[in-house]
Amino acid sequence: MIESISNSANFHLSQKLLDGAITRQQAIATNIANVETPGFRRLDVSADFGRTLRAEFTKAGKADLAMVRSMQPRVSEDSSVRSIRADGNSVELESELLAMSRNQVDFEFLTEMVGRHIKGLKMAITGRVL
Amino acid sequence: MELISGIAATTGALSAQRTRLDIIAQNIANAHTTRGPDGKAYQRRTVSFEAELLGASSGTVGLSTVRVAQIQIDKTPGQRINDPGHPDADEEGMVTMPNVNLSMEMVDLITASRAYEANLSVAKNARQMALKTLQIGR
Repeated sequence: MIESISNSANFHLSQKLLDGAITRQQAIATNIANVETPGFRRLDVSADFGRTLRAEFTKAGKADLAMVRSMQPRVSEDSSVRSIRADGNSVELESELLAMSRNQVDFEFLTEMVGRHIKGLKMAITGRVL
Repeated sequence: MELISGIAATTGALSAQRTRLDIIAQNIANAHTTRGPDGKAYQRRTVSFEAELLGASSGTVGLSTVRVAQIQIDKTPGQRINDPGHPDADEEGMVTMPNVNLSMEMVDLITASRAYEANLSVAKNARQMALKTLQIGR
């Protein structure tokens, strides 16, 4: 049934994590752009996004998919890193570049997950392996 | 929502770093200019950056790009050398040279071009992500 595929928890989780990956890419782009701006504090996806998702999908019983669908990742200042530079900037270029390539791999994995869900649905409709 | 995520921040950074590279090139080119339009030796220019908040139209609130805050003139006095044969020498035969320090400019040049490259790789990465998004369901 179409419903069981498009309502699966995995599909929704992948969708939300994709949103998170896009937002993280924006945050990293901002960080690298401001690598030499005095006083700039690095941004990241706010921690409560991942926390809420994890809590929702690891709890006993069915996840509340309507709630998950309405969640939006936000960027916020990353207060966990301290600035070691004289100008008060907390961006480290190397760790940003590493975070970016890691985020890209995450993103490709998630697009693959979502893509396979849709392929599976197509296969169910047409009866052919695409 | 932009299709290529974070491209607004990267664009601003690329053009800011490009301005910095231009200014460094100007400093190096004028490292021996003893007479500018004002009749004095060239004073080196420095670029400073500031963060600029992106509007809500860019999708996510709280993101910022970077822009050139101002291009200042470095007021440090230039070195004075004794060269009576120089056309710009004063009565005592002293010539004021520009306050450009070539090794400092070279270090700045490398820093700026590294920052430019880092932003370019962000742009490349964002483009690849956008293409992957278009591949969903294919």
